Amino acid sequence: MRRNLIAWAVFIAAVAVLPWLGVSNDRYLMLLANVMLMFMTLALSWDVVARTGQLSLAHGAFFGLGAYGVAIAHRTWALHPLVGIVIAACAVATVALALGVVTLRLRGIYFAIATLAFAEVLRTVALQFPDFTGGTVGIAMPPLFDGDRVLSYYLIGAIFVLALATSLAVRWTRLHYAVTAIRANETVAQVMGIDVVRVKVVLFVASATLAGLAGAFYMPFITHTDPNDAFDIGRSVASLVFPIFGGLYTTAGPVIGTILMRSLEEYLRVTPPWKEGYQVVYGLVIVVAVLFMPRGLLGLVQDLRLKRPDRRWAWRFSR
Amino acid sequence: MEALPQTLLFGILRSGLYALTALGLAISLGVIGVVNFAHGEFVMLGAFIGFWLYLTLSGVSGLGPAVSPLVIVIGLPLSAIVLYAIAAGVYRFTLRPVLRQPELNQMLLTFGLSILAVNATSIVLSPQAKDANLAWRFDLLELDFVNVTFARIAAFVVSAVLVGATYLLLARTKLGKQMRAVAQNRLGAQIVGIPIDRVYEFAFGLSAALAAAAGVMLIFQTQVSPFLGLGTLLKSFSIVVLAGLGNLAGVIWASLLLGLAEQLVSQYVPGGAALRDGLFFVIIFLVLIVKPSGLRR
Repeated sequence: MRRNLIAWAVFIAAVAVLPWLGVSNDRYLMLLANVMLMFMTLALSWDVVARTGQLSLAHGAFFGLGAYGVAIAHRTWALHPLVGIVIAACAVATVALALGVVTLRLRGIYFAIATLAFAEVLRTVALQFPDFTGGTVGIAMPPLFDGDRVLSYYLIGAIFVLALATSLAVRWTRLHYAVTAIRANETVAQVMGIDVVRVKVVLFVASATLAGLAGAFYMPFITHTDPNDAFDIGRSVASLVFPIFGGLYTTAGPVIGTILMRSLEEYLRVTPPWKEGYQVVYGLVIVVAVLFMPRGLLGLVQDLRLKRPDRRWAWRFSR
Repeated sequence: MEALPQTLLFGILRSGLYALTALGLAISLGVIGVVNFAHGEFVMLGAFIGFWLYLTLSGVSGLGPAVSPLVIVIGLPLSAIVLYAIAAGVYRFTLRPVLRQPELNQMLLTFGLSILAVNATSIVLSPQAKDANLAWRFDLLELDFVNVTFARIAAFVVSAVLVGATYLLLARTKLGKQMRAVAQNRLGAQIVGIPIDRVYEFAFGLSAALAAAAGVMLIFQTQVSPFLGLGTLLKSFSIVVLAGLGNLAGVIWASLLLGLAEQLVSQYVPGGAALRDGLFFVIIFLVLIVKPSGLRR
């Protein structure tokens, strides 16, 4: 645990000094860095729910809710984005609580269905109320920190650290045993005295709030959104593909998965014939990962490592 | 209230395709016990097969838009067979290996398949929605109290026949009885010697074939696009949840309820056209609060 803690401290330090390695003046690279941290937050937060064995298909929706929360708070009360982000996070937490309390006491199937339905209904309904959401035209707000992408980098960095801390906290406290038991068998977990529903709801709300924070950052950063963009199902997909690719139920997995997959996406989006259909790769990654590498890249690396000591021994003895 | 008979009729007609799609979903859920997030994509692929057939036939035959009956007669079996084959392959190579894995992995798999199918279709064909300029689409049947398009009637009749046939299959044939047995008690079914693996494969293929038929009938009413699956899937989900997961008998009533509710809301509630598309979620959410086991259980 201590070694991991040091490794994460080094990683955070590296993230913190990144803008000063000659990147801070390149607006495109800074955009990528901001967005990368944003997706890492999404991926980490999705994985926390997955640890309880639940499939959330609404993380893109909480993201969008956070985005619209900030935008509407700004338009209605002319609130500073930083205040708006807090309000948006509270709103997202409330919605997630309502959704979680109703669905998480039932079988996992219901939760998955309800989250997908929730995500889609937000998009269609938001489109139908242009007075509130701006309709297809969307809604705009002034840029965050007057467009300073280094400052915004540190803001999303702080949110990312929050997500990282949540993920590590679930791993390094008694919660880890609770979620592992729940994932293996809910009934048994219940018998062992774990308040299954409560653990699931608390982690879901925390996770949704983190996704909402990422969205609340996105809106003033990009300065414009509309229902089709804010509630894009592609973001829900991204937030689950990245952890699956990197390695489920870990903290490093979602981070590594995001860095690799998001870079690939950046390339595919501008390369025919993929373009908008680049998500076909996401579908492929999910299917292949579930079938052949359920523990993602990290699992693959671990398997290789476990095999290597044998060879090393053989090598030593042969001398 | 003159519009009431028309509204009710439209609601009932609307529920036909809903029942056809939801029945397939309920079968895969009830028999195999897997939530198929790719069910909407079966509908979408069926619709594209119908659309391709319409383009080919109307070109070859010179009939133009009047090719409708041919599209149905050839399209239904064709798309059903193709989708049955696709689904059987999907079952053998992807679904069967994860049947013993946690629920999360199963759901992830079908969700991944859905994304794969949508985006592959959008790359290979095109992301744009396409219109099939078929006869019947706007041709009105004028009765003394209502006007209905032939497309709606055709879709309802085909759905009713196929849903009826499926229930007959479930009630009377050996395979149908085996499917119901597996749905009731997996272990018991295995003990009495039912080849459970073959039943699963057939059930999954059947559910895809029903979806494909719904897809073909859909091209008479709406545009064909790679993205039409999600909305279809969610409405089917709301029906299946309303009927009670895996409860095959409740699907018809639940479809009628959704169809009528949607039609009534869009007709009588101010701003209802906006609310109509969100109704499926209201139903799911209410059922989960009030009676998660479904209305009739």
